[in-house]
Amino acid sequence: MTSIRKFLILAIVATLILFNFIAALRGYQSSMFEAETLFDNQLLDLSRLVSNLDESRINGEFRLGNNVAFQIWDNDQLVAASFHAPQDLITPLLGGFEYSNFEGYRWRTYTRHDDVRNRWVIVAERTDLRFILAENVVLESISPILVGIPIVGLVIWVVVSFGLSPLTQLSSQLGRKKVGDLSPIELRQTPSELEPVLQSVNGFINRLSLALEREKRFSADAAHELRTPISALKIQLHNLQQELGTKSDAFVDLQQGVERMQHLVEQLLSLYRSTPDQFAAECRSVDLHEITQDVVARYYPMIEAREQSLELEGERCLISGDRFALETLITNLLSNAGKYTHAGGNIRLKISSAESGAQLVVEDDGPGISNEERHRVFDRFYRTGNSGSKATGCGLGLTIVKHIADLHGAHVTVEDSSFGRGVAFRVAFPGAGA
Amino acid sequence: MFLTSVILVLQEILEAALLLSMLLLVTRLIESGNKGLIANRTWIWSALACGVLLAWSYALYMPVIAEWFDYVGQEVTNAACQLLTIVLLLVFIYGIKNQVELPGSAHTLVASFCLIVVVALAIMREGSEIVLYLRGIMGQPEAVSPVLLGAALATGIGVSCGILLYYLLIALKRHIALRVALVLLAFFAGNMASQAVLLLTQADWAPYTSQVWDSSALLPEYSVAGQLLYALVGYEATPSLLQLAAYVGAFLMIAASPVFRSAWFRQDLV
Repeated sequence: MTSIRKFLILAIVATLILFNFIAALRGYQSSMFEAETLFDNQLLDLSRLVSNLDESRINGEFRLGNNVAFQIWDNDQLVAASFHAPQDLITPLLGGFEYSNFEGYRWRTYTRHDDVRNRWVIVAERTDLRFILAENVVLESISPILVGIPIVGLVIWVVVSFGLSPLTQLSSQLGRKKVGDLSPIELRQTPSELEPVLQSVNGFINRLSLALEREKRFSADAAHELRTPISALKIQLHNLQQELGTKSDAFVDLQQGVERMQHLVEQLLSLYRSTPDQFAAECRSVDLHEITQDVVARYYPMIEAREQSLELEGERCLISGDRFALETLITNLLSNAGKYTHAGGNIRLKISSAESGAQLVVEDDGPGISNEERHRVFDRFYRTGNSGSKATGCGLGLTIVKHIADLHGAHVTVEDSSFGRGVAFRVAFPGAGA
Repeated sequence: MFLTSVILVLQEILEAALLLSMLLLVTRLIESGNKGLIANRTWIWSALACGVLLAWSYALYMPVIAEWFDYVGQEVTNAACQLLTIVLLLVFIYGIKNQVELPGSAHTLVASFCLIVVVALAIMREGSEIVLYLRGIMGQPEAVSPVLLGAALATGIGVSCGILLYYLLIALKRHIALRVALVLLAFFAGNMASQAVLLLTQADWAPYTSQVWDSSALLPEYSVAGQLLYALVGYEATPSLLQLAAYVGAFLMIAASPVFRSAWFRQDLV
């Protein structure tokens, strides 16, 4: 079934039409039969009237009406006749109702014997005119049924639409729901048939909301709880190194493993904090250039350690945003560029402002990202094929960048680097008018 | 006038409405397992528009057509239309496949074309008779009102029967609905073949054969039940041997199709 509304309207109107029209046909047949009887009775009365006429006053011009004719016969002799009547016997003198043809028409005849004057009276009426008259009267009663059907159809359409409105409301509310909207559905009026459906749907939404909340909190809580033991582990590693005084390969691997674990935990916490429902942004006017300078200053030792060259282009650029979140965004982009660019490579940060909005570009001359992978780099835990064995990462950095950009209404794109090789990340912030 | 108009128009409308219902039902039931066959219902509107246009033109040129082939043009053209309808119906029924077809594929286009022509030809044959009848009546002013009223009443009854039969069958289990629809289509093909033979016999293009039975006393063709049976299964009170043979032949051709057999024996095709 494609549409309940269409089904109800079509099925109801079709049933109504079928039964009403068949009833009208039956009505027509019985009314026509009744009309025939009525006309016959009239003809009978007319024969009594004619038998009482004084035949001396009847001449060839005498008429009772255009559709009626009569003859009076006395001992096989026509003593009087109306205007229409022929000179021959209209119908055999048998008494009662018969049909006869004369004057080019078919007539209904009634023959009676006048016992008082001992003569035969024949009255006749044109059947076609009788039929048309009867049919017109009967059809007058049928035509309102036909005319009424469109009105009834319209009323049914309105009633069915009104009856289905809670269902329409329910489906449109469900359809309009945004991805993260887990608020319960409320209808203006809930019919009893829809009550269990609504309760069930709202129950599902509620359980889904709780499950999602548990899932989100679990990773954040786990990351938070892991912070302290990881810090303790790092201190103990440091103490162990002091005590042993050696730095074997296995020890270095262990230290790097702990570093990666700490990084993952920090990124998991950042990811949780940058989700739209957790992020309480304190948007104020901030200088993107100044924030970038701060991040670069903090990160510079790591760049220097790898003998990479770092350029910062641009000047003061005010945007509306959350300072802490923007710092995280720039740090993640810069850290990615630093990690994936080879030692001695180039990294460039460009800040520009235009009427359409501010732009931040972080580019490098590293191995780059293939076109096939570019649309997936923002997925959680996705790591590119070029990530290399030496680069440490958990695949959450760019997801966090995307979250923060979305929170600022900014758009992140992956492009080719102007170095000729490598990759460029462009964050386009909305302009003042946006 | 009124009753004559009801009977004449009902006979024509009922046949076209039931055919359209059955085709809609079959395409819908097949589509539920095969989304691309006739992806949307645009073919109905094309078929209705073509049918109305053809009916009007056919009625308009009837005096010319009737003079063809030594004044048996109408009979021969009608019979040709009916035979073409059977052929296209067979192409459509035999073309129903199990594979998922994409909209716009060659198979979908052929299926849509067959459906459009089958329905348009049915409307043309039935509609042209109504148009001719109504045009003849327009010359008698006193008859216009009862005839139009009767035509409207008959149209309402015919279309309602089609709609209700469609929804009644939709409510049944899929394989039962498909069986009923395909059997009715087979009856329809049989009726077409029998009518074509009758027309060709009248035109002296087919041999006269003996009458097989006469059930006009038991169930007259022009009674309401007779009309309904005529529209549903092609009831004929006095069929000739050749008519009966054509009827059975067309019925069996539809019944031998893979979709019919699989619907009847519940195989995997549909």
